[in-house]
Parts: sequence; C-alpha cells; structure tokens
Amino acid sequence: MRIVIAEDDPLLREGLALLLRAESLDVVATTDSPGAFLAAVDAHAPDVAIVDVRMPPTHTDEGIVAAVEARRRQPGLAVLVLSAYVEQTFATELLAGGAARLGYLLKERVGRVDEFLTALRRVVDGGTAVDPEVVGQLLSRSRPDSTLSRLSPRERDVLALMAEGLGNIAIAERLFVTEGAVHKHIRSIFAKLALAPDDRADRRVTAVLRYLEETSQK
Amino acid sequence: MTIDDSAGAGRSYPVRRYLRDRARISVDALEHLVGGLGTALLALAALIYLVVVALTCVAGVGVLLVPSALRVVRAAADRERARLSRWGPEIIGPAPVPDELRLAVRDAGVRRELGWLAVHATGGFALGLLGIGLPLYAVQFLTFPLWFWLLPPQAGGPGFVYWRIDGLADALAVGLMGVGWLAVVIGLGPGMARLQAWPGRRLLAPSAGTDLSLRVAQLTATRAAALDAHAVELRRIERSLHDGTQNRLVAVNVLLGAARRALTRDPVAAADVLARAQDATEQALAELRTVVRGILPPVLADRGLAGALNGLAGSCGVPCRVDVDVPVRCAASVEATAYFVVAEALSNVAKHSGAARATVTVRREGGRLLLRVDDDGHGGAEESDGSGLTGIRRRVEAYDGRFSLTSPPGGPTTMQVELPCGS
Repeated sequence: MRIVIAEDDPLLREGLALLLRAESLDVVATTDSPGAFLAAVDAHAPDVAIVDVRMPPTHTDEGIVAAVEARRRQPGLAVLVLSAYVEQTFATELLAGGAARLGYLLKERVGRVDEFLTALRRVVDGGTAVDPEVVGQLLSRSRPDSTLSRLSPRERDVLALMAEGLGNIAIAERLFVTEGAVHKHIRSIFAKLALAPDDRADRRVTAVLRYLEETSQK
Repeated sequence: MTIDDSAGAGRSYPVRRYLRDRARISVDALEHLVGGLGTALLALAALIYLVVVALTCVAGVGVLLVPSALRVVRAAADRERARLSRWGPEIIGPAPVPDELRLAVRDAGVRRELGWLAVHATGGFALGLLGIGLPLYAVQFLTFPLWFWLLPPQAGGPGFVYWRIDGLADALAVGLMGVGWLAVVIGLGPGMARLQAWPGRRLLAPSAGTDLSLRVAQLTATRAAALDAHAVELRRIERSLHDGTQNRLVAVNVLLGAARRALTRDPVAAADVLARAQDATEQALAELRTVVRGILPPVLADRGLAGALNGLAGSCGVPCRVDVDVPVRCAASVEATAYFVVAEALSNVAKHSGAARATVTVRREGGRLLLRVDDDGHGGAEESDGSGLTGIRRRVEAYDGRFSLTSPPGGPTTMQVELPCGS
C-alpha cells in the first residue's frame, strides 16, 4: 500500500510516518503543504492519501480543497482526511462527490492503531470511514421536520454505524443484536428514506449521504 | 516639650495642607482659564467666519458656504466638549449636522451651538484674558520691590500705579497690593473658570430628549467593540490551543499507539518512540503554559500590577523604567487589560521604535487608571491594520477607556491610555 501524507505539524507528520512504516506500509512521501502534497500525488501515484484539514496558508480548509483536487487529478485515489475537530461542512463537502474510497476521522483515532489501520484498509478497498463523532453530531443536529426524524432511535444507531463504514455483521456485534435484526432495521431505514432497492451497496452510501445533505442544509 | 512640638505640628499641618490645596485649586483654575481662552480663540475665529458667510449670504453667494460654516462651528464646539469632558462630567456630542440646509438651521443642537459660540467667543474670551492677566499682575506687583530701582521714580509702577515711587517703602506698599491681587486670583480664579465653562456645559450638552438615545448608541458601539475584542481574543486562544497543545497531544497519542504496537515486536524501537512521545508531552506543557499566561497572567495575582509591569519591563528588549503609583488595586479585568496594553506597547517599542529607553507610568486619578508609555525612538507609529496599536485601542475602548497616541516622525512616541477602574 503506497501512502502520501499531508500534515503541517512536523511532530505529527513524523509520528504518522513512523507508525505506518512500523506496520510495513509504504509511505512514499510526507508533505507539509497543499502544493507539495499535490506534487507528491502526481509524482508517486499513491493508493491512499492521508490529509490534515487545516494546512497553511490560512489553516482553515486547505486540506479538504487539496483532497478534492487530488481526486479530480487522480480518480479513484483513496483519501483519509484527519481533522482535529468535527466540522460537518467539511465532511459534506468531501462526501458530496460520492463516499467511496473516502474517510473522515478525528486525529485522536490514529492512536487506536488497530482501528485506524482497519479504517485505512477499508478506504483503500473502496469503502467509507466516517468518524463516530461526526456521525453523532450530524444525528443530534438533524432538524425535527427532516426525514431523519422519522427514524427510530435504534434505526439511527444502525445508520450511524453504517456511516462509519461498518458492515452488517460488525453492526450486529456492536449493538449486541442478530444479523437478521440489523437487516430488518436497514430495510426499514431504506423504506423511510424512500430509497429504491436497486443496488444494495449503493443504497447504504446514499442513506449516509442523505444524512449529511439534510443536516448541512441549515 | 516633645508633646508641645507635636501639638504645634498638628496645628500647622492642616494649615499647610489648606494652603497646598488652595494653591492646587488656583493652578487648576488657571489651567482651565487658559484652555478656555484657547477654545474661545477658536470660537472667535469661527464667529468671524460665520459673520463673513452671513454677509456674503446677503449678496447671494454665501449660501453655499453655510454648511462649511456650520461644520467649523461644530469643530470648535467639539474642542470645547473634549476640554470640558476632561475636566468634569463627560459631554456627549449631538448627532451630525444635517446635510440639508433647512434642517440644519432648524436643528436644536446647531442653534444651541450658535448660542454658545456667541457667548464663548466674547465673554469666554474676556474671562480667559482676565484669567491670564490677573496672575501676571499679581507677579508684577509682588516682585516690584525687587526691581523698582531699575525705573526712574516718576515712571510709577506696574499696571495702574502711575504715582511717584520714592524708595523701598513705596515699593513695598505696591508689593502689598500684589498680595491683594494674589488674593483676588485665589479667590475668584475657580469661580471665573466655572463661569467660563458654564455656557459650554449648558449649551453644548445635548438637550434632555436626545441625551439618552445618544448615550445608548455610544454604549452599543462600545459593547460591540467589547464583543469584537473578545471574539478576537477567543480566536487567538483557540488558535494557539489548536496549533500548539492539541497537535502535540495528538502526536503523543499517535506515538503511544505506535509504541504499544512495537512493544512486542521490537522493544528497543518502542523505547525510542516513547522518548519521542515524552518530548512531545513536554512541548505540549510548555505551549499550554504560554496560552494560560496569555489568558490571565498569574503574575498579576501574585505580585500585583506594579510587580507584573516590572516583570514585563525586565524582559523587554529596550531598557525600561516603570513608575507605578497606584495605592488601591483595580478590578482584575482592568489590571489584566492594563497589563496587556503595556505588554503590547513594550513589544512594539522593542520591535519597531529603535528606542534607547522607554518609560511606563501608571497613576490612579479618581476612578480612572492612567497609563503612559514613552519611548525616545524614531516615532512615526501608526494604527494601520494588523498593528498592535489597533488591538490596544480596541481593548481599551471595550472598557470604555480612552486611547491616544502621539508619534511624530523622528519621535518621541507617547501612548496614553485611560481605563475606568471599576472599583
């Protein structure tokens, strides 16, 4: 797995590289600015990019802008965005073009190396990884008149875990229910969100996106 | 005998204090009369301009000049308002002069200003001249016995003394009249100063109806400035916490995660990673300390304003003398503001002024804390965007304080700040 890192804090950049290399992953470039990051993506054609949201010069959303641009230049590039805090508009901006091969995690998740590596692999394999915190905030902020309000608390839990990128078995384990029960909840969610049963995998992503869209409208 | 002495001292002390107070009051009165003379001269100039404009109005062309004349009157009145506000209760200026001529002439504030102009340009002017003349007379008369021999006897003495002065006895008699003049100065001076200020206090203050809305507008503006200053302050704290402490802790977390994974595989590498994690922790602590110090300097609580400012002066790149004479402590927020103002000012001095030395003076007068920072650098300091001076002004205005800066090219630079003590 070839990795490019974009992180302006030197200590964290080196820490990340050290951690990934210790796992025998191939960190091909570490960069500290959006410009250097895009150049590295062009030069190395990596499998995945790990990008910090706040980067110079203004330390606002340069990382997101650079990640979107990198995916435009190299379609199919997996991107895992790291953020110091939950910023819902960034998450929606990033996921607007489709949630496949995308991850949005809080920086502290990196310390749980197992989970971090799992999320990284999931993103590279074409999946999604959205931080539980992000999902939780989106849930709590959803407007009362939105379609999301029609979901039962249990269905919300399931949708939240779906948004994190978990599969049905993993969701069942987390919620201590059977896989069949999870199936039932998901069918109910799809029905309430009016998602037609044409492509199951795509519907999962669409449900999550519906979420993000609805909560970011106001 | 000792007892008698102390009793004597006890009796003489109030007398000395009384004399000192009288002297101070008289000097203050003189200062006010001279200041009033200054604004009276402005008023006189404005009055003359107004009369000229009025005369040309008759010819028809002057109508175009009326707005400018009203603006000149307003400028003179604002000077008087500022002068009276420094001395007594604050006088708030009225709303701007209406653009339309018909409205401007009907405007109550404008009319009151015109009334003030007429009185102050004449009566205020005369009182000001008298205020300067009387003390000069007193000095002339009092010192006459020292220099009467320079004049021929038939030349008489100062002022109205036209009679012959023969010898020291006559001169001393004139000197005695000087004491009388002095008594007049001391006795009438303060009254004259008040009389001179009276038209301004009556006519330049907004009329009862407008007063409240203006004050509300002003308070709203300062409150907005306070919120703004707070927002800027919060932004600064957030940024330093995020870029510093939080990033360090994230790095520590990542390194600890890596160390845990490495422990079983390669303990030596794990030790190396742990050492890095510890470095990051130390950095985080150092940065956290800086941030905390920026929020409310602990040194203020420990050593008071004087001690805290001495500490600032000690770490300033330019030799700096601190002179703090504040017997009572002010509210914590005021002291914190004073501390930041001085810190910001001294860092400006060190960075930009090229000064060889700086002086910080802090006094408390009535309910106000007065700060003054002087340096002998090359001056030319300006309140451009992003300079520390803008930050100082905002912080000060947020506390309903006043900020002024004098920095001519070539220097020296003086910054003065007044803060209400809030206690």
